[in-house]
Amino acid sequence: MVNDMDEVTNTNVGLAPDAADIDLDEMIAPTGDEADDANPVIIDVEDLNVFYGDFHAVKNVSLPVRQNEITALIGPSGCGKSTVLRCFNRMNDLIETARVEGKVEYHGVDLYSKKVDPVEVRRHVGMVFQKPNPFPKSIYDNIAFGPKIAGYKDNMDDLVEETLHRAALWEEVKDKLNESAYALSGGQQQRLCIARAIATSPDVLLMDEPASALDPIATLRIEELMYELKKDYSIVIVTHNMQQAARVSDRTAFFSIEVGDGGQRTGRLVEFDHTTTIFTNPHEQETEDYITGRFG
Amino acid sequence: MTTLHPDHDHEQEGEIEIRHHFDDELDEIRRGLVQMGSLVVENTRRAGEVAVENRLDLVDAVRDGDQPVNALYRILEKRTFEILALQQPVASDLRFLIAATRILYETERSGDLAVNIANRVAAQNGFPQLAEIQSLLGRLVTESTKIFTSAVEAIANLDPEIGINAEESDDVVDDITERFFGTVHAHSAEIGLESAVELSHVGRFLERIADHGVNISQNVTYVMTGTFPDEDSDHLPE
Repeated sequence: MVNDMDEVTNTNVGLAPDAADIDLDEMIAPTGDEADDANPVIIDVEDLNVFYGDFHAVKNVSLPVRQNEITALIGPSGCGKSTVLRCFNRMNDLIETARVEGKVEYHGVDLYSKKVDPVEVRRHVGMVFQKPNPFPKSIYDNIAFGPKIAGYKDNMDDLVEETLHRAALWEEVKDKLNESAYALSGGQQQRLCIARAIATSPDVLLMDEPASALDPIATLRIEELMYELKKDYSIVIVTHNMQQAARVSDRTAFFSIEVGDGGQRTGRLVEFDHTTTIFTNPHEQETEDYITGRFG
Repeated sequence: MTTLHPDHDHEQEGEIEIRHHFDDELDEIRRGLVQMGSLVVENTRRAGEVAVENRLDLVDAVRDGDQPVNALYRILEKRTFEILALQQPVASDLRFLIAATRILYETERSGDLAVNIANRVAAQNGFPQLAEIQSLLGRLVTESTKIFTSAVEAIANLDPEIGINAEESDDVVDDITERFFGTVHAHSAEIGLESAVELSHVGRFLERIADHGVNISQNVTYVMTGTFPDEDSDHLPE
């Protein structure tokens, strides 16, 4: 059929040259929920339970994070989405009472194995936080800091430039690399933090509400940057803003809160699917109610 | 290349282009609509040859030619739906996507009408060849195809002017259609009642294709200006 279409298309009707140059193979290729799950799983979560002391924060979460995709975690406050995100680079280790049960595998390696060094994990799985938190140092040093500690031996100037290019910040800061990072706008600071996170060459980026402290334009710039970055990285984003999840992500996990008999509130995964499915035809009524603003 | 948001002059050089990926998605829809429309133009011409010259050998080509139109319809409708759901479009983006759903419908229907023409000729095993009728039918094919081609150009270039002038071009088609009906009626004894009825259907299908073309051009005017060309009177499709 495609060949026939090419034939017909070639006998054009005198339209603008770009009129009929669309790639039909690409057009007809399945998208969204029809696309196959070709991207390999990079972080595999099965039956994850997180406790803070006696408090059961998240229960029985299973979901795969796939390579070169953006996975969004959404849900009401207290549903455990940030807690789950923090399991992906062992940030919960920093909380004394935290206990993690279940499987979190990164490239098939159990992240919570006793042999695994959490610092090494964070080198592969970088993180960007809600509030831009650059070091009180120059723009240059913010980028160079991590690689220096990691023993980077090659040309640091080149690495700083390349990293800032990747974070779409180079043109804005190239003439003031030695100025304080605090001199940048909020949106630029956040892109600097993204640059800092990718300077040590991770392959996963965790983003916890990366745009919630930014204005709408700076937010859209971060989103466009994420879209570029997913060519090289796999991204997991936690966001309160479900429209943001809709705009940027390939897959969405919707979390909700289950209230136990004793009034204990535990987060659980309600539905995980292609973002197109979640936002056009979710399977669970609870998801439908949340994304249409009927509850939450 | 004509796109809905051709430049980002307000942005500084080297800055990340806001919603660049969204712009690409919108333009993919625009190019898909152009492609679908171009296929319908080709198939209408082919159906015209079938009707005017009794080219029964082309009937299957017309039927097959509608399949990619239907395939594109399904794909583009799904994409448009997804973009509406995921990207929260507003203003010109919203008008474009809403207009795209209408243009998709108009284009798909036009494709079906081209197939109907070929089917009517095939069912009659060709029409009686009468110079006066053939001549008017030929003109109807030319003028209807011209209007539909302009509609496709309106999408390709996002040109609001074509829609503003579309009703005038459509008057030409309406005139020829009326004369065609009159001529077929006058010769109905000669060509037989059944052929006369079927020929009238073919004339009506061609006139409808022109109407769909007018609606498409007017939707482009709506995208670019926010109003339909004949908003003060009656902008509803006939």
